[in-house]
Amino acid sequence: MGRELMPQNFTALPSVPSTNGAVGHIFSSSSSGMSSDLHFSSVPSQSSGVLQSTTSIPYMKENNNSAWSTDSLPDFLDFPQDTPIQPSNLEHSNTAICTIPSEDLGKQNDWQDWADQLITEDDAMTPDWNEILIDTNLADPEPKMTYHVGGSSTNSMQIQPPIPASSGEACIPLTPTPSSCGNSGSHSKPRMRWTPELHEAFVEAVNKLGGSERATPKGVLKQMKVEGLTIYHVKSHLQKYRTARYRPEPSSEGPSERKTSVEDFSSLELKTGLEITEALRLQMEVQKRLHEQLEIQRNLQLRIEEQGRYLQMMFEKQCKSGINNLKPSSSTIDSTNETPNSPGKTQLASLQVDPTEDPNQPTDADSQPSKCAKVNE
Amino acid sequence: MKFGKRLKQHVQETLPGWRDMYLNYKDLKKLVRLISSSLEYGKSEAEFVYLLNNEIEKFNVFFMEQEEDFIIRHKELQQRIKRVNESEQSSEGEYEEEMAKIRKDMVDFHGEMVLLVNYSNINYTGMAKILKKYDKQTGGLLRLPFIQKVLEQPFFTTELISKLIKECETTMDVLFPTVVVTEEMNDAMIMMAGEGIFRNTVAALVTMKEMRKGSSTQSHFSLPALNLPDSEIIRAFQLKSPIPII
Repeated sequence: MGRELMPQNFTALPSVPSTNGAVGHIFSSSSSGMSSDLHFSSVPSQSSGVLQSTTSIPYMKENNNSAWSTDSLPDFLDFPQDTPIQPSNLEHSNTAICTIPSEDLGKQNDWQDWADQLITEDDAMTPDWNEILIDTNLADPEPKMTYHVGGSSTNSMQIQPPIPASSGEACIPLTPTPSSCGNSGSHSKPRMRWTPELHEAFVEAVNKLGGSERATPKGVLKQMKVEGLTIYHVKSHLQKYRTARYRPEPSSEGPSERKTSVEDFSSLELKTGLEITEALRLQMEVQKRLHEQLEIQRNLQLRIEEQGRYLQMMFEKQCKSGINNLKPSSSTIDSTNETPNSPGKTQLASLQVDPTEDPNQPTDADSQPSKCAKVNE
Repeated sequence: MKFGKRLKQHVQETLPGWRDMYLNYKDLKKLVRLISSSLEYGKSEAEFVYLLNNEIEKFNVFFMEQEEDFIIRHKELQQRIKRVNESEQSSEGEYEEEMAKIRKDMVDFHGEMVLLVNYSNINYTGMAKILKKYDKQTGGLLRLPFIQKVLEQPFFTTELISKLIKECETTMDVLFPTVVVTEEMNDAMIMMAGEGIFRNTVAALVTMKEMRKGSSTQSHFSLPALNLPDSEIIRAFQLKSPIPII
C-alpha cells in the first residue's frame, strides 16, 4: 500500500527541522517492520498533511516551481497550531490507539464518506487539496485532521475504551493482520470481529428501520453510530443475518445428512420421543465433555508458554551476568553452569523486579541466548 | 508422523466446509526438512515465517466468520424460544413440537461451537509442533517468540465462543430438565446418535486422547496424557458409527 511511497515522499524529512520529535520517531517505527495497516495508524496528525498529499504531489509540482521537497514540506509541518490532536498523543500511536478528541466524533459521518473516497481515490477530492496547497499557511487543517484521525482509527483500532458520544457498547475490536512486512499488500482491510453487544446494537438498528428485509446497510450503519464500523462490515453481516432468519439453523453438515436424521426421527417419533430426548441429552454430555477438555488443554498450553518465556528470560539473564562477571569473580562462572537455583537470591530477586527487559531481543550477543535456549529445551 | 496422521484423519472426518481450513502440517514439515539441509538460512526462515503467517491468516478469517455466524444464530435461537413461549395461540402439541425442534437445533449448535474450539486447538497444537521441529532441525530460535504471537491471534482467543457455549448449556438445563435413562434407551441412543455433529464430537475427543498419548519427544513443554472416564461409551460410539441408521 502506502509503504512503498513512504521513503520517496519523506526523503526530505530528516533535513527538515521538525517542530515535534515525534515525527522522527514515527519514521523509525515505520521502518521497523510493522504491518501496512499499523503503519497507517502511526502517522501523526502533523505529517498527515504530507501523507495525504502523496496523491497530490503532482499538484505540488505544478504549483511550486521551486524545488518542492525542501520548500513546501516545512509549511506542512509548521501549520498545526490549532490541530485538535496534541503532540503528546503521537507518542503512543504506534501500536495503541490514537485517542480521538470528542470534537471529531460529530464529524463521523463525514469522514466515513471521505474514507470511502480515499479508498476509491476519487478525483473529486483533489480540487480541495489544490486550494489548500495554494494557501501556504494551510489555515484550515480541520477537515484533513478529522479525516486522518478517522482514517487512522479505522485501520488501527483494537479493543477500545468506550468513547463518549458513540454508542454505549465498546467500540469494535479491529484486529491488525498478523503478518510482518513480508506480507504487505495481501491484507488491505483489517478484520472485523463481531461481539454479541455489537450484534445487539445491529439488531436494534435493523428493527428500527423496519426489519431485516427493509433495512439497508447504509441506514443501519448510520443508525448504529459505531466508531470504525464500515458499510462493508454491515453489508456482510446483514446478509448473514437475513440467511439466519429465513433458514433457521442451517448446519454445515449439508442437506443430505439433515434429511436422514429428520426422517428417522419422524418415523420413530411416536414410540421413541423419549429416546430422542435422551439421545440429545447424551450428545450434549459428550459435547460438554469435549469442551471441558479443550478448555483445560488451552489453559495448559498457555501456562506452558508462560513458563517457557520465564525460563528463557532467566537463562538469558544468567548467561549475560555470567559473562559480564567473568573478570571480577570466578565463582560466578561456576554458578552459571549449575541449575538456576544456585545464583544468589539477590539475582533472582532482581530478575523478578525487572520486567522491562525483553527476553527475546536479539540485541545482545546472539550466541548467549542460543546456548541458553538449548539448555532450556 | 503421529500428529500428522491424526490430523489427516481428523480433517477427513470433519465437517465438509471445514476441510480446507486446517493447518498444512504435512507441507510445512517437508519445508522444514528442506530448510534444514539448505544453506540459505536467512532467506528460508523468512519464507517459512511467511507461510506460517498465511496459515494464521487463514485460521483467523475462517474463525471470525464462524464466530460471527454463531453470534447471530445464538441470538436467533433465543428469539425463537421467546416467541414460542410468548405465543399463546398454539396448542400443547404445537408447543412441544416447536420446543423439540429448538432443542435439537440448540444441541447441534452447541456441538458446532465446540467443534470450532476444537479446530482452534488442533491448529494451535500443530503450529507449536511445527515450530518445535523447525527449531530442532535448523537450530533456530523461532519457536518461543513466534508462539507468543500465535497466542494472541483471534483464532486462539476463544473466550467468546466458550462463553456462548456455556450460555447454551445453561439455557438447555433450564428448558430441558434431565430424565432417568433405562437400559433399552441406551442401545437406541447409540444407534441414533452416530452421525453428523455428534459423530464429529466423539471423533474429536478420541483424536485428542490419541494425540496426547506419550510421545518420544515428551518434555515439560508437552501436555499430559488425557484421561477420559467415559472412554468405554465413547469407544462404543466409535464402533457403531459406521452402521447405518435403519
